[in-house]
Amino acid sequence: MTSTQKQQQQAANNAEGGAKKKKVTAAQLRAQKDIAELSLPPTMRTHFPDPDDILNFELKIEPDEGIYKGGLFKFTFSINNNFPHEPPKVRCTQKIYHPNIDLDGNVCLNILREDWKPVLNLNAVMVGLQFLFLEPNPSDPLNKEAAEDLRLTKESFKRNVRQSMQGGFVKSVQFDRVLK
Amino acid sequence: MKVTIKTYNAVAYWRWDAPSDDVCGICRVQFDGTCPNCRFPGDDCPILNGKCGHSFHLHCVNDWIQTESSRGLCPMCRQKFEFEAE
Repeated sequence: MTSTQKQQQQAANNAEGGAKKKKVTAAQLRAQKDIAELSLPPTMRTHFPDPDDILNFELKIEPDEGIYKGGLFKFTFSINNNFPHEPPKVRCTQKIYHPNIDLDGNVCLNILREDWKPVLNLNAVMVGLQFLFLEPNPSDPLNKEAAEDLRLTKESFKRNVRQSMQGGFVKSVQFDRVLK
Repeated sequence: MKVTIKTYNAVAYWRWDAPSDDVCGICRVQFDGTCPNCRFPGDDCPILNGKCGHSFHLHCVNDWIQTESSRGLCPMCRQKFEFEAE
């Protein structure tokens, strides 16, 4: 084999290897379908920072009623290769005062954890997230103080939510300003 | 007129006994297609009909049942996933 031939073969092998790497995975196929079928209300928007990566994206929620009305809440979605057998990993990128979201952005939503099943789609997860802002749930909390606050006096909880959304302090913790 | 047939090509058509527009709830591909890991539809990528009335590609539901979080339940109705051996 001449050196030119060797080079050609090398190039061919590389091309083949490259093609294999680009093989679309089951997770990508399923995610693509879910994203194509999203039918979100005007209060929610997705954003794909890298259009070539459909497995990592952002969701913005602007509740139009309830205690969190007027806020703009940002989440990141990260889908791994076991999707849809494993749920997407969802985090809130802001520090917010919410019984079901801790200060690190971890979200407590049943369908993202113990009640996940592969027939659920991304639309169901997003609607579930929005529901947390309409009906914060004081049982099974991630932020115990916020949950206690909501359980004891809803008025005080409401005040603290407004305070936190303005970027203020609640019980000596400062929160991110999330008002539009 | 007499016609003499010299050669012919037989063409057959098959489909699963499932509604044609129905998709597997796990991969969302039609039952007549394959699970995402198979290339050719047919006996190598069959459908499994659960006793609860929910059907999936065998490979899809198998992957799910093998995850710990599935607890052996149907991904659609959360009843125990059982099927009748053919």
